[in-house]
Amino acid sequence: MKTVLIEHLARVEGHGGITVELEDHTVSKVHFEVFEGARLLESLVRGKRYDEVAPILSRICSICSIAHSLTSLKATENAFGIRISSQTELLRELLYLGESIQSHALHLFFLAIPDYLDSPSAVALAAENPDAVRLGLRLKKLGNLIQGAIGGRAIHPVNCVPGGFGTVPNVDQLIELRGALTEAMHDCGAVIELMASLPAAEFCHDDTVYAALFASGPDTYYAGDEVIVASDGERCTVRAADYRNLTNEKSVLHSHAKHCSFHGRPFMVGSLARLTVNPQRLTGRLAEAMKRLQLKFPAANPMDNNKAQAVELVGDIERAGEIVEHLLRDGVQDERPAAVPVRAGTGTAITEAPRGLLVHSYTYDAGGRVTAADVITPTALNAASMEQRFRRVAEQYEGNEDAVLEKRLGMVARAYDPCISCSVHLVRTR
Amino acid sequence: MSKPTLGIFGLTGCAGDQLVILDCEDELLQLVSLLDIRDFLMASSQNDVVCPLDIALVEGAVLTNRDAEKLREIRRRARILVALGTCAVWGGVAAMDGSADRRQRLAEIYGETGLSYDSVPAQALHEIVKADLNITGCPIEKSQFLAAVANLLNGDVPVFSEYPVCSECRMLENNCLLIERGEMCCGPITAAGCRARCPNLRVPCIGCRGPVADGNASSLLAAFEEKGFSRHDVAARLRTFAPQGGAQ
Repeated sequence: MKTVLIEHLARVEGHGGITVELEDHTVSKVHFEVFEGARLLESLVRGKRYDEVAPILSRICSICSIAHSLTSLKATENAFGIRISSQTELLRELLYLGESIQSHALHLFFLAIPDYLDSPSAVALAAENPDAVRLGLRLKKLGNLIQGAIGGRAIHPVNCVPGGFGTVPNVDQLIELRGALTEAMHDCGAVIELMASLPAAEFCHDDTVYAALFASGPDTYYAGDEVIVASDGERCTVRAADYRNLTNEKSVLHSHAKHCSFHGRPFMVGSLARLTVNPQRLTGRLAEAMKRLQLKFPAANPMDNNKAQAVELVGDIERAGEIVEHLLRDGVQDERPAAVPVRAGTGTAITEAPRGLLVHSYTYDAGGRVTAADVITPTALNAASMEQRFRRVAEQYEGNEDAVLEKRLGMVARAYDPCISCSVHLVRTR
Repeated sequence: MSKPTLGIFGLTGCAGDQLVILDCEDELLQLVSLLDIRDFLMASSQNDVVCPLDIALVEGAVLTNRDAEKLREIRRRARILVALGTCAVWGGVAAMDGSADRRQRLAEIYGETGLSYDSVPAQALHEIVKADLNITGCPIEKSQFLAAVANLLNGDVPVFSEYPVCSECRMLENNCLLIERGEMCCGPITAAGCRARCPNLRVPCIGCRGPVADGNASSLLAAFEEKGFSRHDVAARLRTFAPQGGAQ
């Protein structure tokens, strides 16, 4: 028997490792280990006032801090029966798009692409291919510009409050965003061409279940309330309030992240899942990008998630441009946040963080203080699917070099865009 | 002269301070040309994990024995150890409730398995090793980070302003959220450097940068009580990011 061990996975957010034990080519054990410390934030918000929850829980993760903050606010608003204005909805969608652009650009250019080009990092890559790295930096900066303009800060937004925003963006900020988004449209083609030029990465194939929010309108990240689980041509629907039907988690000893399954099968969330369950989105530039990248659904290769992120980058930039045009055309009203009628109750929200489905669910007492909080993150949802894929990689690897197998395992892990700080917390057993 | 060697490390946290470094899109390529980055796991798969370092940047708090061990190892390697961000400097959000029964909470969240996890109460870096420089913020401000690196590259010690968020807010001529609107704004005792991001957007400061040196927490407490906030709520707010800060 031999063990292939990645002690500390590089180029991911957070601390995790992979252990695979093999006898000949039979895999006897696969573990995705998470050794991020447990911050117990879920229990720390108990007793907190409704307006303190989002700023604390955004700290679960920096890369997804907008998603945590806005999903938290949506759950709180659902608990109190608050309706937000259509302007707030639009601004929040724009903020989500900014986060997704930043996150996808960071993941593709800094974390994932170096593997394909046999480079240890984007910094090393900059010496050989400075244009690619500059392209990634420009797109990252665009995402951060949007997050700063709407959220008040790129990481851990300060402007998002229950019922709306502290201050809405002014015309000058929107004009700056329009300029940057127009320029970025020219970069979209380069992103797709770069992705198309990468060597093929085919290390494991299997049928996978995908789960993502159904987008009934143009907002694919924030507005939805129904999750579609798609497998073998079948589609099941799970409503936000019934999210426990989606997540039958259990604690496992080797990981501080819990493992989730649907009808006994692990499932994948994230960009590839979003495109898979929302074929109605795939028109125009997105369809062109998919064609160029030879992306077809249902995809059996987890590495296709990287291609899906590139396709989403194109769609996100286009949609953000539309929203900014809309806001400039109609003008932004200097709205104050909606009133907060505190009452006892439970509220749940499911949204699409950059790396997949994110659930926040809270119960409040009559004074507007948290009595129970539950957060389920995309990486926790993906953990079981990742382990399944690691097993396939090991089974389907016919060579004998540990270094090659290690590299493949690392690449598949990165394709899931894991956010290990996120995965660790806050999944409550009941 | 050879370039200074640098390591960038994350203990337990949200990786936000490392992300701020990667968010220096306009400066990043120049920054890496001036430094010899040897160990940066979040951004590179090729790291020298034992070499001595001129500068070590460490974000996050210590929440596992593994974190503590790693921090001591970094200290042994580094000439200058910089605590990066509120978690590293003050303990951060995970430290807000030091009196909590950790075993009980682990069991509650993770079930019985939780009891076997490597888990210790959150500690700031200085509780384990000596930190030579603190750059606070949740996350750190890009401008302060770049200024600090520039100072270190020139052999200077970075100096940060020692006044509260309130001063910055007044310079921006904002209406006072605390006095005029009766909101629980922590600006008077929170370390400046963020250009009053929150009150400048009509959102009260929640103290994410930790307390300013010589802040007068008791006088703020009195002002809050006068506005009708309970002592319990005020103390909890002040402890959210920096348990050993202004809230004793």
